[in-house]
Amino acid sequence: MTMGLRSERQRRAPRSVFVNPEHCIGCRQCEFACAVEHSRSNDQFAAFLEDPVPRTRVHVEAGDVPSTSFPNRCRHCDPAPCQQVCPTGAVSRDDEMGVVLIEATRCIGCAMCAVVCPFDVISFYPLAEGPDPQTAVAVKCDGCIDRQRRHEVPACAEACKVEALVYGELNELIRSGRVRETRAVLGAADLTHQPAADPLAGWHAWGDEILTVAAAAHMPGHNHHNGHGNGHGPAKSTNKSDGGSR
Amino acid sequence: MSTVSRDGHHSGRLTINEDARRMIDVAREEGIETVWDRLQAQQPQCGYCSLGVSCRNCSMGPCRIDPFGAGPQKGVCGADADVIVARNLGRTIAAGSSSHSDHGRDILEVFLATAKGETTGYRIADEAKLLRLAAEFGIPSDGRSVSDVASDLADRLFEDFGSRKEHLSFVERAPAKRREVWEKLGIVPRGIDRENVEMLHRTHMGVDNDYVNILLHGLRTGLSDGWGGSMIATELSDIMFGTPSPRMSEVNLGVLRSDQVNVAMHGHNPLLSDVIVSAAQDPELLELARSYGATGINVVGLCCTGNELQMRRGVPIAGNHLMQELVMMTGALEAMVVDYQCIMPSVTDVAKCYHTQIISTADKAKFPGATHVSFDPHRGAEIGKQIVRMAVEAYPNRNPDRVRIPVKPVQMMAGFSVEAILGALGGTPKPLVDAIAGGAIRGAVAVVGCSNPKVPQDYGHVELTRQLIEHDVLVIVTGCAAVANGKAGQMLPESARMAGPGLRGVCEALGIPPVLHMGSCVDNSRVLVLAGALASYLGVDIDQLPLAGAAPEWYSEKAVAIGAYVVASGVKTVLGVQPPIFGSPHVVDLLANGLEGVTGATFAIEPDPAKASLLIRRHIEAKRKALGLPYEEVEEMAPAVEAVGTGA
Repeated sequence: MTMGLRSERQRRAPRSVFVNPEHCIGCRQCEFACAVEHSRSNDQFAAFLEDPVPRTRVHVEAGDVPSTSFPNRCRHCDPAPCQQVCPTGAVSRDDEMGVVLIEATRCIGCAMCAVVCPFDVISFYPLAEGPDPQTAVAVKCDGCIDRQRRHEVPACAEACKVEALVYGELNELIRSGRVRETRAVLGAADLTHQPAADPLAGWHAWGDEILTVAAAAHMPGHNHHNGHGNGHGPAKSTNKSDGGSR
Repeated sequence: MSTVSRDGHHSGRLTINEDARRMIDVAREEGIETVWDRLQAQQPQCGYCSLGVSCRNCSMGPCRIDPFGAGPQKGVCGADADVIVARNLGRTIAAGSSSHSDHGRDILEVFLATAKGETTGYRIADEAKLLRLAAEFGIPSDGRSVSDVASDLADRLFEDFGSRKEHLSFVERAPAKRREVWEKLGIVPRGIDRENVEMLHRTHMGVDNDYVNILLHGLRTGLSDGWGGSMIATELSDIMFGTPSPRMSEVNLGVLRSDQVNVAMHGHNPLLSDVIVSAAQDPELLELARSYGATGINVVGLCCTGNELQMRRGVPIAGNHLMQELVMMTGALEAMVVDYQCIMPSVTDVAKCYHTQIISTADKAKFPGATHVSFDPHRGAEIGKQIVRMAVEAYPNRNPDRVRIPVKPVQMMAGFSVEAILGALGGTPKPLVDAIAGGAIRGAVAVVGCSNPKVPQDYGHVELTRQLIEHDVLVIVTGCAAVANGKAGQMLPESARMAGPGLRGVCEALGIPPVLHMGSCVDNSRVLVLAGALASYLGVDIDQLPLAGAAPEWYSEKAVAIGAYVVASGVKTVLGVQPPIFGSPHVVDLLANGLEGVTGATFAIEPDPAKASLLIRRHIEAKRKALGLPYEEVEEMAPAVEAVGTGA
């Protein structure tokens, strides 16, 4: 059984939504877009008034460090632990699109899928397509399979303005991250041996200017203390050697 | 539903106008970015902000409410969706009111300086109107010089900006019954600056935490614009530049001349544009233009500056808000002279692709990449010439191979001030009242407001207006809506043929179009004066009249202020673009339903012009029925917002 599923993965690298958590600014646009995409109206002005209310399937949780966050969603594992443990066969895989789907009407709410999910991205809410409007069923990312069939980008990746969520061929997305890291590593190594620009140069010039003006206008006594005040005073040199990287 | 989808990005779906379509295609060919490209790049736009449930008023935040219910329902301070939506809306109204009112103050300052003889290029053009206003305010004029009377009037109006008065001077123009409504609600506007400052105060964290109380002050803030800042701007502009009277002019990009120096006046305040029009007739500058091979200097208008100039001087209009980038793609524009409001920061980027000079003039509105000429009314005439000279000097840089003026201009009629309308009626509102009472004219609707790239350009304005006049509803237009209707050929006396039989008969008898151009966006104050005059004539309140307002393509904060004062004055207003309030069903319910029992008028939101037309006609017929006038049954339909309000 798993051989059949795996053969699809072996033939081609899947198209997927890849996460660059270091880009995430915590705006939660992906959550909003996901909920609207999974509403009946598909209208941002009306979706939240529906009953049952549509739910996001991507979850932005904050990190320990302020202003860090991670947009977490189903990774559509293959084989999928949730599929392997579901006692009612509610979890299936769409071979063509390579996404794991949950059939809401077959879900009995046992939460075994959530227990084994390595990413904790399965939650339980009533759904419009569920057995009835009150009963909570397993809810997770469906890969925006309808959009993908129309050759459209999944809603979360479309909403993301900072490329924290990007959609494409998995190896390409990973490679673009590798390119970024390569440039960062080589940039930090400073292989050109050019002296780095003094990032505080503007401040120093401003400070020198202030001292010059002060010395000329009001504080003749400071003239001696601060040197000539011509933009190359001793204060600047000291700062530069303290703060320099070499 | 209001956003441009990917498959809707073809130029033919962005605008209904041939000139805009052709220029958008040019922009695409040449890789020049336009407002539609930037709207597309912003999709999908922030859902929290679209619903109004994001707040960045303080540094405990920023916060947002999760409208889907799973996430936070309160900001850090404890404000819920109702408070956040109301605070945001209140600040939007204050920004819009402040914009109009600051424009009014600028005119007032130049008016006083002119009265004292300290300016060049300005004069008291309509002395009769000055004397009418003086009489209205009890300022003596017998045996006094024009200068003294004008100075006294200016002093009186300066007081309206402050905090020393119980109510604004022009509030007394409102019908007595309307003033009683405002007094009962405690929303009589006291001072123009005061209401705006108080709104900023109330919406600071921990001040006004009652969304109803915030919104009531929002109405008062709007009233300080409509019956204050905007009305001062309109009335003093009339005194200084002439009260508009009907005149023929032209509109669309075809007003640019391939053989002349073209100067586009863009922005809002007639203080600047009026001296430029005069300077363009200067013999020395005309001679300079001829020396460069041009046959003349052609001044055209954009946006509301265009409306101000057309209403008073018959100057042709190149287009409305969404044409400001496209006008440069004709390759025939030497200079775009700007003051303030609605001037996209992108104009300097587009100008870099052509020989066009962007000349900024207001010290409060600078544009990196533009040439700044600080406008000083004390030397108005001289600065006007300096600016026109810069435009002429740019003419030799024009590349004739890139000039493509896409269409022939369309004729339109402008200039319907309240004075002009009453003049056409023989000096009294009686003929109009009789036509409405008899049913030849069912009612009147002000179609106003901006252009918004979320709506195919001019579609909302033109389609709604067409459907209204077909059903014998007289339409009054200002701002971008006026330009749109002009381009569609709906603003000529002959356009009466497009109207229903009743309206057509009245228009043909008076020789007027079925769509009357009342001016710029500050000139919506003229609509208030007209509505007030009709109500006072009949001894009723404004909310009893068969009137409505519509802003089918609004985008700006000023439009929200206008909506606030129009509804607070008792006129139902239909918006074509969703305001950011839907995150609070309580606020929506108050604005769409609850206000009916408070100001006698509500907001509705209906993006489809056909449905908006039905909604408005149903409202007008209901008002007719209540007044005991003959009425018709209009097909039933539920507008989008009322359906949402009920479901909440």
